[in-house]
Amino acid sequence: MKGAPGRTSVPHMAAPRNRSTDGLFYSVLALTTLTFVVDILYIFFKVPTEARMGIVQKIFYFHVPIAYSMYLGATACFLGSFAYLVRPTDGRDALAKAGAQAAVAFGLMMLTTGPLWGAKAWGAFWTWDPRLTTALLSVLIYVAYVVLRSFAGDGDGERRFAAALGILGAANLPIIHFSVQKWGGQHPMVITGRGGGLHDPAMGVALTMGFVGFTLLAVVLIWAQARVEIVRARLRRAEEDAIDLGLDMRSEA
Amino acid sequence: MMASQDSPGDRATSFQAVQGGQTEHYSGEALLVTAYAIVWVVVLGWVALMWRKQSALLARVADLQREIDKAGKDKA
Repeated sequence: MKGAPGRTSVPHMAAPRNRSTDGLFYSVLALTTLTFVVDILYIFFKVPTEARMGIVQKIFYFHVPIAYSMYLGATACFLGSFAYLVRPTDGRDALAKAGAQAAVAFGLMMLTTGPLWGAKAWGAFWTWDPRLTTALLSVLIYVAYVVLRSFAGDGDGERRFAAALGILGAANLPIIHFSVQKWGGQHPMVITGRGGGLHDPAMGVALTMGFVGFTLLAVVLIWAQARVEIVRARLRRAEEDAIDLGLDMRSEA
Repeated sequence: MMASQDSPGDRATSFQAVQGGQTEHYSGEALLVTAYAIVWVVVLGWVALMWRKQSALLARVADLQREIDKAGKDKA
């Protein structure tokens, strides 16, 4: 558009398309899909049923990587927020926003798959166990972040306030992790702390594939979401430029 | 689930010992399938939201493009 004869120039509309980045994104997406297909088949057809809990124990192979993916989203939010406070850019803000949305989505999965396992293992969907309570608190912090970003506008002040919340949210992550060791509770410690570990090699393989799959899924979703947020910020500036140039921009989506 | 008690009123006024072993339990298969289904519902829901956001952005880009074209024609 820039420099086209007889056309008005809108500086922020210049959006370079990087084919190698697109190729990398689609490669990661394909690898994610493949990993999940293999992992699901492996979990259901190869991994033995656990002796004491039965088939419901297979939730473990998704639940633990999902909790870890929530940490990844929260870490992305923390890094984006911290970087934004140091030097504000659309990309850093987009990373923080996408990370918080990932933390909410994975947190939601964690808070639903865990209680379904608990219904069988504990006979109750929910207990006010230290790890469950701190995990719920953390998810609520990221829900607050997402609600703030959805309804409080997109000015620099709002972005800075959200960045502070993104940093505060990360402070709770070590508390979730060490809550079982510090305060006890019912939450299992099979692969961490004083846990006894997985007694069948196939269980370890399924869990590892779960970690790989959910790491890739978190990367794909945060990446795609951050790109949407960057485009939105760029478009908002382009619309402001267009208004400055005297164009009529009355249709706000 | 507690078959030996008939109504909420009964449960509020008396407690009775279970007969013939523990009867309260959940189906492991149902819980497992529900857990896996919820994971994919949340992922697909997020992708659908992202799709909607992209559609809204495309509409705004089209509006902007139209206004630029109009301004270009007026200028020419």
